[in-house]
Amino acid sequence: MIEIKNLKVAIDGKEILKGVNLTVKPGEVHAIMGPNGSGKSTLAQVLAGKEEYEVLEGSVTFNGKDLFELKAEDRAREGMFLAFQYPIEIPGVSNVNLLKTAVNEIKKYRGEEQIHALDFLKMIKEKMKLVEMPQDLLNRSGERRFFRW
Amino acid sequence: MSNTEINEIEQLANQEYKYGFVTDIDADTFPPGLNEDVVRALSAKKEEPEWMLELRLKAYRQWLKMVEPQWPNVNYPPVDFQAISYYSAPKQKKKLNSLDEVDPEILSAFAKLGIPLAEQKILANVAVDAVFDSVSVATTYKAKLNEMGIIFCSMSEAIREHGDLVKKYLGSVVPAADNYYSALNAAVFSDGSFVYIPKGVRCPMELSTYFRINAANTGQFERTLIIADDYSYVSYLEGCTAPMRDENQLHAAVVELIAMDNAQIKYSTIQNWYAGDKNGKGGIYNFVTKRGNCKGVNSKISWTQVETGSAITWKYPSCLLTGDNSIGEFYSVAVTNNHQQADTGTKMIHIGKNTKSTIVSKGISAGFSNNTYRGLVRIGKKATNARNYSQCDSLLIGDKCGAHTFPYLEVSNPGAIVEHEATTSKIGADQIFYLNQRGLATEDAVSMIVNGYCKEVFKELPMEFAVEATKLLSISLEGSVG
Repeated sequence: MIEIKNLKVAIDGKEILKGVNLTVKPGEVHAIMGPNGSGKSTLAQVLAGKEEYEVLEGSVTFNGKDLFELKAEDRAREGMFLAFQYPIEIPGVSNVNLLKTAVNEIKKYRGEEQIHALDFLKMIKEKMKLVEMPQDLLNRSGERRFFRW
Repeated sequence: MSNTEINEIEQLANQEYKYGFVTDIDADTFPPGLNEDVVRALSAKKEEPEWMLELRLKAYRQWLKMVEPQWPNVNYPPVDFQAISYYSAPKQKKKLNSLDEVDPEILSAFAKLGIPLAEQKILANVAVDAVFDSVSVATTYKAKLNEMGIIFCSMSEAIREHGDLVKKYLGSVVPAADNYYSALNAAVFSDGSFVYIPKGVRCPMELSTYFRINAANTGQFERTLIIADDYSYVSYLEGCTAPMRDENQLHAAVVELIAMDNAQIKYSTIQNWYAGDKNGKGGIYNFVTKRGNCKGVNSKISWTQVETGSAITWKYPSCLLTGDNSIGEFYSVAVTNNHQQADTGTKMIHIGKNTKSTIVSKGISAGFSNNTYRGLVRIGKKATNARNYSQCDSLLIGDKCGAHTFPYLEVSNPGAIVEHEATTSKIGADQIFYLNQRGLATEDAVSMIVNGYCKEVFKELPMEFAVEATKLLSISLEGSVG
């Protein structure tokens, strides 16, 4: 599913990954462990497509495609998902809107039918119940409390 | 942010202006130039009563004594007022009785703009007055509104048929001598909309005016007057477009709103005049005076504007909070890209007791543009318990644009509470990467970030127009970054 061969990556001219090899087959779960600064985040970021990193050597194939030929959004649409340690705030954009847009972008890429806002809301509410998540999270967005008379 | 991202955002901000077409119609146009005879000819053309001509001449003489203001934070070569034609109207042989008699070329121009002029489009539930160059070509839904006593017609018609109302209120909020461009407008305004909502009536639909500049070398000077009588409500929207031309064209409008006791006026603008090309050539000079008077107790005037077009925008929709307990609101999104310049904001003049005002201004600058918020909050001596809250945010896209904020506060009553908040931010590379990683292309990511930023203002727009504003915003930002 994903095959990393001899991956060497630098940031600001400093080599961080010095030849990583890893093959992950469908259904497998891998945990990468190591001390601070050993390159765990760098590996994750470079796979997701963050641009500051410079790939010096090596290759990554993802679902049979050359990962480095894909833009960040296409990697995401292919199924590469990066959980952010510190999620980024987008003021004024509600969680539900972001989720729906993300899902529909991926569906569009895969040639699937778009999910309608109401159906999406229904689906997401069921999923939230499943994990006992408070419903008000949906409409929350990173915005400062707006003053009202 | 990386270069590729900057390039992508720049492309995004450089979409073409799709309203740039010219309609080929036979027009009756005055030769360029301005003098008393032109003012007289204009008044005669519009078959105006003597009192109106007198008002125009008085304003014209006033204008001659005034000088163009230099204080706005905008730069442009001096306007040659003698090179402008002050009247251009589509030629029509007789008076129109229904939409069927309007020149099909004009109707198709409005159709291209997506404006539902045809009355059969009942579903749209928007009554439209359409102003083409200097004259109003059609007002829809008139009969239906008439039944409720609502007057919604062109200003020319109002002058002829509702002279008493016009005489009483025209210039009562924005006197001719108020400023250079209001004096010019009072002298040469050609048309515009007039609205009167009688006591206790809640206008059942959005009233809307679409302004279209078509002819070359003409100025558009429209005049709008809205009067909401006691306990009435009206929501009014204006939209503006113009063809793409290399030369600059002048648009100097005046809008006056009057809200009586317990009345409420909601005025929304989607301004999309031609902004000039990427290098700053051409575009409309949008020099506008808009002011509302919350004359009665408990009255409320709310301005919402989405300003994306014009080479230069210079306008401050304001509220005079005269009546006790009156409320003024100003919600604004002003986008400048390429070489556009905007100096816009509001004035909230607290006169009555317990008056409240809210200002939410969102500026977005991209390209080489300059975006200025200029606002005045004045609390008068007698405005006990007055309150104001202002929030001015600026979003910068790219590193060649500018955002400026000039908030003026003049407080003469010790009991007043005035708050001002301001932020300046950039679209972060982290935000874009985060959205990319969730499957959004960079241009959609920018659009989502910008729309989130504008949400507080967009939610104040009538539903139909919020959608239009969202689309317009992504078009205007084509080609911008940070």
